Amino acid sequence: MSTDLRRILVLLVAASTALATLPWLASDFMLSLALTCLLYVGLAVSWSMFSGATNYLSLATSAFFGIGAYVTAWGFESLPYAVVVPLGGLVAAAFAALVGAAVLHLRGAYFAVLTFGLGELVRHAITYAEKTYAKTVGRVIADPPESIDVYLTVLLLAFLAVAVCATVRASRFGLALAGIGADEERAQTLGVNTRRTKILAFALAAFFAGALGAAMAVRWTYIEPASVFNPFIGFQTVLIAMIGGAQTLIGPIASAVIFSVMTEMLRLQFPYAYLITLGVLLILLVLYLPGGMASLFRRAWKPNA
Amino acid sequence: MTFWIELVATGLITGGIYALVALGLNLQYGLMRVMNISHGEFLMLGAYLTWLAHTVFGVDPVAFLPVVAILLFVLGLAVYRLCFQRIVRTSPSVEVIEARSLLIGFGLMYLVQNAAYLAWGADMRGYSYLSDPVQIAGARFAGNSLLAFGFAMVASLSMLALLRWTMLGKAVRAMMQSPAGAQLVGIDTRVLHPAVFGLGLALAGVAGALLSMIYEITPGMGEPYTVTALIVITLGGLGSAAGCLAGGLLLGLVEAFGMHFTSPSLKMLLSYGVFIGVLLARPKGLFAR
Amino acid sequence: MNWTSAIKAIAAALSAAMLAPALAQDSPVRIGYAIARTGPWSAGAQVSQEPNYIMWAEQVNAAGGLSVKGKKRKVELIGFDDRSEAETMVRTYEKLMTSDKVDLILPPWGTGANFAVMPLVQKHGYPMLAPTATGRKLLEMKNPYFFALLQQPDRMMDALAEYLAARSIKTVAFIHVDELFGLEQASALEKSLKAKNIQIIEKKSYPLGVKDLQPVLNDIKAKNPDAFISLSYPPDTFLVTGQAKAIGFNPKVFYAAVGTAFPVYRDKMGPMAEGVMGLGTWNPKMSPQAKAYFDAHVARWKKEPDRWASAHAWAGLQILQQSVEKVGLDRKALRDHIASAEFDTVIGKIRFRNGENISTPGVVSQWSGGEFEVVWPPQNATGPSLFPKPAWK
Repeated sequence: MSTDLRRILVLLVAASTALATLPWLASDFMLSLALTCLLYVGLAVSWSMFSGATNYLSLATSAFFGIGAYVTAWGFESLPYAVVVPLGGLVAAAFAALVGAAVLHLRGAYFAVLTFGLGELVRHAITYAEKTYAKTVGRVIADPPESIDVYLTVLLLAFLAVAVCATVRASRFGLALAGIGADEERAQTLGVNTRRTKILAFALAAFFAGALGAAMAVRWTYIEPASVFNPFIGFQTVLIAMIGGAQTLIGPIASAVIFSVMTEMLRLQFPYAYLITLGVLLILLVLYLPGGMASLFRRAWKPNA
Repeated sequence: MTFWIELVATGLITGGIYALVALGLNLQYGLMRVMNISHGEFLMLGAYLTWLAHTVFGVDPVAFLPVVAILLFVLGLAVYRLCFQRIVRTSPSVEVIEARSLLIGFGLMYLVQNAAYLAWGADMRGYSYLSDPVQIAGARFAGNSLLAFGFAMVASLSMLALLRWTMLGKAVRAMMQSPAGAQLVGIDTRVLHPAVFGLGLALAGVAGALLSMIYEITPGMGEPYTVTALIVITLGGLGSAAGCLAGGLLLGLVEAFGMHFTSPSLKMLLSYGVFIGVLLARPKGLFAR
Repeated sequence: MNWTSAIKAIAAALSAAMLAPALAQDSPVRIGYAIARTGPWSAGAQVSQEPNYIMWAEQVNAAGGLSVKGKKRKVELIGFDDRSEAETMVRTYEKLMTSDKVDLILPPWGTGANFAVMPLVQKHGYPMLAPTATGRKLLEMKNPYFFALLQQPDRMMDALAEYLAARSIKTVAFIHVDELFGLEQASALEKSLKAKNIQIIEKKSYPLGVKDLQPVLNDIKAKNPDAFISLSYPPDTFLVTGQAKAIGFNPKVFYAAVGTAFPVYRDKMGPMAEGVMGLGTWNPKMSPQAKAYFDAHVARWKKEPDRWASAHAWAGLQILQQSVEKVGLDRKALRDHIASAEFDTVIGKIRFRNGENISTPGVVSQWSGGEFEVVWPPQNATGPSLFPKPAWK
């Protein structure tokens, strides 16, 4: 393991341990806010692991998140929380692998719009199946786990996402992904099995999105397709990752925290006009800081591999 | 027999409306690789402006269409100048333009949608116009739907004709194929880009105006149309005007037939299924360029 | 930069900001809520709910304040936008209940949102009177702090079936939206129709967001049912009305569940609305109190309240007001009082049993001469029903 990677992992463990004490230090609301930050750290980092490196802009995060949420909805009555969460991730990853095998030859905007369509397809498929076979459209989670358990689970998932992403970036697998992002044909001639690499990374990213969906679902008591397959989750993930700098590790993390905290503060302070402020800030950011927020950090941080 | 005519016609009308909504986005993307995710918001603005003109000032919605077009064209020029020009000019590659315009689009979406919430509130609005049925070949349709369809056809076919047979159209196609080459032969992007962007928004606004006659109006009405537009132009082939029309009509027909032969619940599944199926068979859309 | 310390710093700053209002003087009664001001839920929330909250607080304060066991104190509303997102809404209520420690809360809009808040109201002990949540599933959760004001599906569908039987309707075709609401109404409708021996000759469902139902309506028209029932949400209600007119489908009874009670239905449909039936509870003709409420709403908001949930929202506020006057701000005592007493409200007497409003009857309403009249059952009617439905205008 390279020293850079070791340093990152040590820092990560320290930060996560500190964050794990939050439930006993902070109010319910602060905990929820921290939960949101961690959720988007996990989503944005895992997204950038695939899409940031390979430049295959995926909007399928909502699909994976929703699949994970439904695994909880279906499984929570008979399985413990600690089982449904990784199960949600696995189901999402399996779905991603299957779908990826079929669609990962598409490029650019086609790939983006298609992955968006996937989310909608899964949503409507589940609505139809539920309505026809289960004679219901939503599922109630009657006895949800404690907020502390949810928080620690999401913290663990975010930690894993960052750790895995850091490890991937420092490995040959990560190098292959970056190569695909730079010039796919060239990577292929250099001996990279691009198809397998892409599918694997796509599925890996999906695992985290699915697990996070499975973990968060218990907070809403009532799971229905429209709210868990909300495309906004996918959009926000992409937004955060790209604003932060999708090719870096620290970019999505910082962006997730700052974006979540800032949105919340704006929403609470300016109950009517905060989204307009957000929109303007976003536009200014893209226009004048094209390298993403990570470019700000490059001066204060050693460049990662 | 009447039944089949009605079914096909319903599908074509819905599809034509989809194509109309997608037309503006297609132009912007095809020419500049600008992925304007806020497209639907300008459709919404067109709807609100028409509603205001009709209910407050008593203006006939059809007579107001040119006004909507001009207002949104001018707005488009401003939006391009303020938000997109810098990106289109300074980005190192077209993929980067796509990515950055996507993000700007999000920002615009927040901005415009929420300005509308502030200005007009979240309540649903609506007015009745040309809702009386019209009989064609024994089949009946609402007048406002036929109007929207008629306009969609006129706009799409005019766009096709413009692109194929006029100097301006050739300039635009040249720019789509090879920006550098086009500039070498003297086509001025500084004029063409804002103009085409403005035209795209004008088309969105007019689509919104027509839709406001049929459906109810809310500040959030634009997003589903953006989604539909994206699906249509991807299905048809990004940048292809003929593809836009074909994609829209196909989608409309799939929905109408799907609703009848299976059930409305499966309609969405079918639409997305067809969409994904087409892309798997033809990765660059129906009319790939 | 160390991220842990950054987060701690932000946490400290935010805590300080949040703590500040709680340290202020405690004489106003602080009532918090999160409601949809943007997003898909906002169209309903801004017609039926939030305007009532704000108007009520203003009226109460104009009269000197909310009477807390006889002592008057000003009402301070603390409201936030939940963006039609369950997570944002849950987080906001967590803040209101644990950090801000508000005295009372008001519910968000819609069945889904109310589901999400249920665990919180029970955990922190805040009674909640919900005017826009309906469904057996909600009540099955047996949450002691949750009170549903709307008539449940079985009640409304029973009333509808009675009306149809009274008019000798023999065949019904219905469609419903693929949502919990649509499904529950549909199964309640089927049960009620079966009890009256009315035959269902066609039933179809459709997904939320559908933009064209003409093929479905054509199919149904061909089967020529006596009555057509659309268990739909406002966008589909408008769609179905316009398209039925376009194809000339005019059965003897035309019923569209949600949306018909909104004033915008009458504005958008114009003369087309005449004779269309739907879910409604009241109109200003019902009583002087109803008229006073209606006039005040129009004066304050320059728009009419809707003829269904708006009045239930107002009734919920009245119940809260009457309870606080009698019992004070002890939330457990409030809950017990709401659960056992009978109240006088703008829609009549209301009493709860197991969280369900068992007093307000199921009724059928119909647009007639520019007003959404209650036309069935006869003892609750504000006007005669138009039967059969007049031709589309």
